[in-house]
Amino acid sequence: MAAIFEAFRFKQKHTFMHGLDPRTTFFMAVCFSVLAMLFLELLPLLIIILSMLPFVLLAKSIGQWSRSLKGLAFLAGFILIINSYFISFSFAVSTVLRLTALMTAFSIFFLTVHPDDFAQALIEMHIPYEFAFAFSMAVRYVPTIATETETIRDAQMSRGLELESGNILQRVRNYIPILIPVIVSSIRRALQVAESLESRAFGSTASRTSLYGLKLRKRDFALMIYSLLLLLLGLYVTFILRTMLPSPLPDWFFWTFPF
Amino acid sequence: MIFFDDVWFEYEPNQPVLRNLSLQIQPGETVALMGENGAGKTTLAKHINGLLKPTRGTVYLEGVDTRKTSTAQLARKVGFVFQNADHQLFADTLQAEIGFGLRNLNFSKEEIDERVNRFLTLFELTKYQDQSPFLLSGGERKRLALASVLCVEPQVLILDEPTQAQDALQKQKLLDFIASFRKSNHILLLVTHDVEFAVKAVDRIVVLSQGELIADGTPRQILSNLSILERARLLPPQLTQFAHQLAEHEPRFPTDLLTLTEAVKAVNQILRRSR
Repeated sequence: MAAIFEAFRFKQKHTFMHGLDPRTTFFMAVCFSVLAMLFLELLPLLIIILSMLPFVLLAKSIGQWSRSLKGLAFLAGFILIINSYFISFSFAVSTVLRLTALMTAFSIFFLTVHPDDFAQALIEMHIPYEFAFAFSMAVRYVPTIATETETIRDAQMSRGLELESGNILQRVRNYIPILIPVIVSSIRRALQVAESLESRAFGSTASRTSLYGLKLRKRDFALMIYSLLLLLLGLYVTFILRTMLPSPLPDWFFWTFPF
Repeated sequence: MIFFDDVWFEYEPNQPVLRNLSLQIQPGETVALMGENGAGKTTLAKHINGLLKPTRGTVYLEGVDTRKTSTAQLARKVGFVFQNADHQLFADTLQAEIGFGLRNLNFSKEEIDERVNRFLTLFELTKYQDQSPFLLSGGERKRLALASVLCVEPQVLILDEPTQAQDALQKQKLLDFIASFRKSNHILLLVTHDVEFAVKAVDRIVVLSQGELIADGTPRQILSNLSILERARLLPPQLTQFAHQLAEHEPRFPTDLLTLTEAVKAVNQILRRSR
């Protein structure tokens, strides 16, 4: 379960993707997420995922990405079963693909952008410092919470908790003894962090200056334009081509499983 | 019996956290596992109830290879109280919290009720029985965590840093409890940095350093051996430090002192001789 977090754990590497401006990577993540939300057909979603894979490769992070896919397997299995039962298998597969696309889009972002750089990007976009700081703190604590979740799982398994037993509903319920301590200790920690920030005079100066600034380069513009074009194409297909009758879109576009 | 047969363990490839570790613990023994931060103490303890499986070598619990069974199955035999009580408390009431392990292990309704009440009384928590565990104080939460593991009455009990953030009274209560546990034929394993506590609580100390077992013996053998203590970054008990410093002035003074009674006796002898 905690393997999901692997996809969002920043690792310092020197790659093309790591050298981009955080605003570019964020823009890409948003464009690809919107794209994934536009379609529920199998093949378009597959194309979206495939068009992101080169960036995962460029970031030299295939390992982390695929490990987090395995972590997603439990949730994916759950979605598959529930949706196949209530709607259809095709719909279930599309939903899982959409989830994978969303996860991939944001995992590229989180894997390649240092949280502090993103906070800096937010500040340069005129977001108040407190919000930018809260964001970088949230990201900073993801690995801490992931480790803590593992400890809590160990503690409850030592008390005889079996995660893999019972029907689907029971299996979800099995996670309650893990989720509650995770939430409670996160809240406790948040309060502690707030107190320690206050005692170190957080927010005492009205205007802050930065040591490092951010600068957009040619490759940043190139990637932003690329993502924007893909997004526009997606919007064009969804809102113009798909509404036309008879449909100018090829048959494979609407291909589904027959069940 | 717990038997570690040449155990190696690594979280990341080629970075062994436990190396070449062999260890036997017999029923009735109380053992303290000591060593510096990151020495592998908790990692070793997690092998006993199968939370971790060795990368190489084998861990046997009562002759059963932990690789061939699950933590949930081992939970009936091994109780594990984690360092931070907040990592295991989740239920709506104290009763439900203590009953959680028993329900997981399919105890009967009557048995669960009987044990919940017995352990609430034993740990002086009865007056809070219908409250939420989260309303308890830190010390009470620690006691509740202990009660909720002990109610299964495991043959092996592992306590990870039980004295952390406990006041003197709570430590004494824990010692009383351990003393009663020692009389039975169970195994108690303490993971701790607290030498003063270990001296009073156990009859065997196993010292780990950088994943290797560097010493195994009685508290007296281990805690008066300064070179071992230094390697494991442990400070000897104050009395032992006192004895060593005194011996510099008075060579006849014994340096393997552990208890207050022994120290008083030794000082008295010296005083009598000098009179």
